[in-house]
Amino acid sequence: MGLESEVARLRQSDPEALGRLLDRYQHRLYRYLCRLVRNPQTAEDLFQQTWVRVIERIRQYDPSRSFEAWLFSVARNLAIDHLRRRQPEALDEPMPSGATRGERLAADAPSSLDLLLARERDERLAEALAGLSAIYSEVLTLRFEEEMKLEEIAQVLEAPLSTVKTRLRRAIEALRRTLEARPGASIPRES
Amino acid sequence: MSEHERLREWLALAAADALDAEERRELDRHLAGCRDCAAEFERWASLAGWLKCLPTPQAPAQLIERVRARIGELAVARAERQIDQRTLVWLVVFSWTVTVASWPVVRLVSQGMASWLDVGFVHTWFWMVGFTAVSWLGAAVAAAMLAIRQRPARRML
Repeated sequence: MGLESEVARLRQSDPEALGRLLDRYQHRLYRYLCRLVRNPQTAEDLFQQTWVRVIERIRQYDPSRSFEAWLFSVARNLAIDHLRRRQPEALDEPMPSGATRGERLAADAPSSLDLLLARERDERLAEALAGLSAIYSEVLTLRFEEEMKLEEIAQVLEAPLSTVKTRLRRAIEALRRTLEARPGASIPRES
Repeated sequence: MSEHERLREWLALAAADALDAEERRELDRHLAGCRDCAAEFERWASLAGWLKCLPTPQAPAQLIERVRARIGELAVARAERQIDQRTLVWLVVFSWTVTVASWPVVRLVSQGMASWLDVGFVHTWFWMVGFTAVSWLGAAVAAAMLAIRQRPARRML
């Protein structure tokens, strides 16, 4: 069933449509929130609040716009409210990567050298990403992990397209500077 | 700023596939003739590819169940609130109807019909007190029913 019909059924308070949308977006939305707030427990709380807010406000959603962009903007507003309630210095606080305990355990399991190197590389990148300010890690996540179009990112951020492009360029430049500033670091080739 | 420097600033955005078609064509023409920029673009593209392959933190399975349960609870609470609101509206309409209807009845009983039915002053007051007592009792029962209905919702919220 298509996304549009799922959303239309959600507007009619169909609980099955909600279940299917939850399944469709669970990992992506959770990942986005993890990157934003950098704390899995907080991301879980915000994830729950996001869907409650979606149910409450689904009638305000304009079907001519992207549902994904609307959903992520709802999550973003909740995350911003949460971050504002925290101490201001916490916004730029570097945090560990958002990888799950399962992934960490898997990383400790015996594996080939290539796999270990790839994991080390991914951890390094995740740490560098988490070390960026929230507005930079957010735009990188939306573009590269969520693979959103620039127009959709503009909707989520509620910012003009030119601002999105500028922020994206600054974010990727900042990420590269962070990676290259580490001792012996370089940008590895894709595996 | 030279043409080379201007286009070099586009390399990061090009790796993020964030240039429009005309900008991309212009950059591609430059890259075809500038080995330095082509090598730099490769580094940006490598970083972009790396970002796309980052492991995704997985939402815990129990999280989805918690969300479903919470939304179910809220749906039940909302449905009960709607029933309570409808009940309240009906009670208000009923009470106003009774109040408005009581005046012609009182007038009828205390004047024209009173002599025909041989109802005296004492009888009129007896019926008025009885009528008021029944109204108050009805309102108390309705209030108690509403309170009982809302108790589970208050516990949940």
